[in-house]
Amino acid sequence: MDKMLIVNPAKCTGCGTCKLACSMTKGHSDHLTRSRIHIFTISEVEHVQVSCLQCVEAACMKACTIGALVRNEATGAIEVQEDRCIRCGLCEPACPFGHMHFDTRSKLPQKCDLCFGEPACARFCPHGALEYS
Amino acid sequence: MYIRIDGKQVEAKKWDTILSAARRADIDIPSLCHHPALETVGTCRLCIVEVMMEGLAERKVVTACETKVAANMEVYTRTESIRKARRTTLDLLMARAPHSEVLQTLSVKNGLEPRMHPVIPEANDCVLCLLCVRACEQMGCNAISVSGRGESRSIAPPFLSPPDACVGCGACARICPTNCIEMTDSPTTRTIWGKSFERTRCESCGAPMMPVAYRQYAIAQRDLPEDYYAQCQECKRKEISLKYADLVVKVQHG
Repeated sequence: MDKMLIVNPAKCTGCGTCKLACSMTKGHSDHLTRSRIHIFTISEVEHVQVSCLQCVEAACMKACTIGALVRNEATGAIEVQEDRCIRCGLCEPACPFGHMHFDTRSKLPQKCDLCFGEPACARFCPHGALEYS
Repeated sequence: MYIRIDGKQVEAKKWDTILSAARRADIDIPSLCHHPALETVGTCRLCIVEVMMEGLAERKVVTACETKVAANMEVYTRTESIRKARRTTLDLLMARAPHSEVLQTLSVKNGLEPRMHPVIPEANDCVLCLLCVRACEQMGCNAISVSGRGESRSIAPPFLSPPDACVGCGACARICPTNCIEMTDSPTTRTIWGKSFERTRCESCGAPMMPVAYRQYAIAQRDLPEDYYAQCQECKRKEISLKYADLVVKVQHG
């Protein structure tokens, strides 16, 4: 793991391009609720982007006793092994930062996996507020 | 070790089953009840294949999910007799669960057009694949199991009454390939297997979350702080972003 997703809230304008890129890439839809990156507007000029922190001692991985959440050593991201998941949904409330989402439609957990090393949010951010380096 | 599947040489480890070796080599063998993380039971009979190996006089039909690989094994997945047997199995499964999308997809994918079998009148879409039972076992609850024999075989909680051991996780309902386990979520309660569970609420915004019993289970079974389960995802994200914003302001303005 030599790269990480770096957020810079000072540069963020809250335009939502990262959310759209994420929804289109991971959710296959332009519906922004499918996004795995979120923007919180604190004031008109202050925006903060939050996404999965890929914790070293991840709570989601601790909650999943079946091994359906596995760290990809190449990217450092925790990925969902969909075929191993038994859909107990415990990973969602376990995440202390709220970045695990249990999708009721596909009945599978969804989380940021850094697009397997090429995060779309960073690629499309027009203001350089998200960097993958 | 190498085995041959439909004439293609495939590398296999000694602990592999035919199905796991085939899947790794991108050879599709249909299956319904197999789950890589759960115990293998071989109930759906869709993954049957013919094998030929040392010590056998003629080809033998086995389930790919349960049969371990052996050196110089020859596996045939698409012979005429296998196709016929699979089609009959699929027909019988579809008689139980005629509306199942999974079964319809499987039949289309394998070019097995289902014949019209009379639909079992009391069918409840359950194909007895036991995925729910195994998932419940994996969760450590064992709240449901197989009840009855023969025609009356079904999945049920003990004595057909609301199960004490159930914590309302809903894994059984979600893992079911034919969606036949009824689980209803209202803002205040979750109902499954005839048992109602009160749902917890987010401490900050009051949004309904997991059942109270499931939270207790999670706190007891998983080594995580109790307050992780106190807030909903949205509120947790809000909290972390506010903390993060504070941090950024401090860094920028000293």
